[in-house]
Amino acid sequence: MPGFDLQLLLHGQYHEWLVAGLRVSLELFALTIACALPLAVVVALLRLSPWRALQGLGATYVEVVRNVPLIAHLLFWYFGAPELLPDAVKQKLYAGNYEFIAAAIGLTLYAAAFMAENIRSGIRAIPAVQFEAARALGLGFLPAMRRVVLPQALRVTVPPLLSQTVILWNDTSIATVIGVAELMYQAARVESAAFRSAEAFGFVTACYLAGSLALTAIAAWIHRRWPVRTL
Amino acid sequence: MRLPLKSLLVSVLAATTLVSVAHADQLADIKKKGEIVVGVLGTDEPNSFVDPKSREIVGYEVDLANAIARKIGVKATFKQIAVAARIPELQQGRVDLLAASLTHNKEREAQIDFSLTTFVTGQKVMVKASSGIADVPQLAGKKVLTVKGGTQEENVRKAVPSVDVVTFETTQQAFQALQQGKGAGYVNDEATLVNDIAKLGPAKKDYKILPTNLSTEPLALGIRKNEPALKKVVDDTLAELEKSGEADKIFMKWYGPTTKLQFDKRSFKIDSDKI
Repeated sequence: MPGFDLQLLLHGQYHEWLVAGLRVSLELFALTIACALPLAVVVALLRLSPWRALQGLGATYVEVVRNVPLIAHLLFWYFGAPELLPDAVKQKLYAGNYEFIAAAIGLTLYAAAFMAENIRSGIRAIPAVQFEAARALGLGFLPAMRRVVLPQALRVTVPPLLSQTVILWNDTSIATVIGVAELMYQAARVESAAFRSAEAFGFVTACYLAGSLALTAIAAWIHRRWPVRTL
Repeated sequence: MRLPLKSLLVSVLAATTLVSVAHADQLADIKKKGEIVVGVLGTDEPNSFVDPKSREIVGYEVDLANAIARKIGVKATFKQIAVAARIPELQQGRVDLLAASLTHNKEREAQIDFSLTTFVTGQKVMVKASSGIADVPQLAGKKVLTVKGGTQEENVRKAVPSVDVVTFETTQQAFQALQQGKGAGYVNDEATLVNDIAKLGPAKKDYKILPTNLSTEPLALGIRKNEPALKKVVDDTLAELEKSGEADKIFMKWYGPTTKLQFDKRSFKIDSDKI
């Protein structure tokens, strides 16, 4: 077995493939987190809303999405869902980078279901009297949430949301099954072309580890900058 | 931080090397345990696939592997593996022999040994008849689909440098993506493409295989490096099958006129492990 060739990771074609993979992974992660967080807030509010129908809608979304494995979601959004669209729309979608789009949709919907539950717990951690007091002062449901409850709830939610974000970063690797040229995909490509598995997967491991540690550092900073302040 | 990590890796690698040295003769090990574990794809008709009636893995390569097991005097156990996992599974000793539509090429010779060539096929590209693509050069700038971990991606990029390749875990997924219009072409061994088209039934008129070969692929059985005793018995068995005419019968059984593949004759002989 040949030794570990660090040069292979620093220059040349395999280096380029792996760096291109890292870029796609980061893009996929950034897009997903940017869409998943707002969606998660909406779903959490649905579940806490005063109307039964909206509560049911939120609960159904969370349970249906959360109880099916991520790989099934991605295969569904890539192979299944678009087949229901009219031909013209389909052709337009497929002409672009539909692999990436399907992965972003699948990951967003999946991550949002878990994050919604984190945010809902955060909201429930804020004493109900605060919400009641806000309503008593004449604020409606949404303004009371936005001005009084959510600013406190989101601070409480930082630690669980962080683990969810780390999981999401690592979960982007599953997009390889629908042909998204992210880190895992490029590592497999280096492996088949050069048989340098240790180098390729060493690089990938370092990237996921570095990304996760960076997220942890950001969350620690947020936690210090905006500490939990509640009664 | 740098040195300890490096020395850790070195010791891990050294340990791995020692483990592989410990098994001096694989053939003796196979005889001792009474079975030879053969890595097959199990999803690549007619080389190795699950027979819908018996639920057993059968096929051209399965018959060859069974003949080898009989010659050694042990039972053949078939283990299904993914295309990309073939060489690692063999190197790490989880299978004794690969009969998994494995292309014999120079790059791989540094990793593993190969038996006599057991099949020769060309890699080709399937497109939709409605695409208007007449031959391989017209794939320039288009998206083509294939399976991860094989030689397909490399070969199509060599033939058409500007092509965009998307790879999947199995050939079925790549073929499915072609049918759904997610790419212009689907690259695979010709024998597999012919078989895939045959499965479509009446819809097969909507697809065609482009005439130009991307490459000629000699397929062979994979053997771990430096196992001369095992390689000899494998090659001897194959040479005997060729001499007795049995190899031709096995070919006709899986590829001949009565099968979906409908080859009328065999265009190669099992007589060399040179490429």
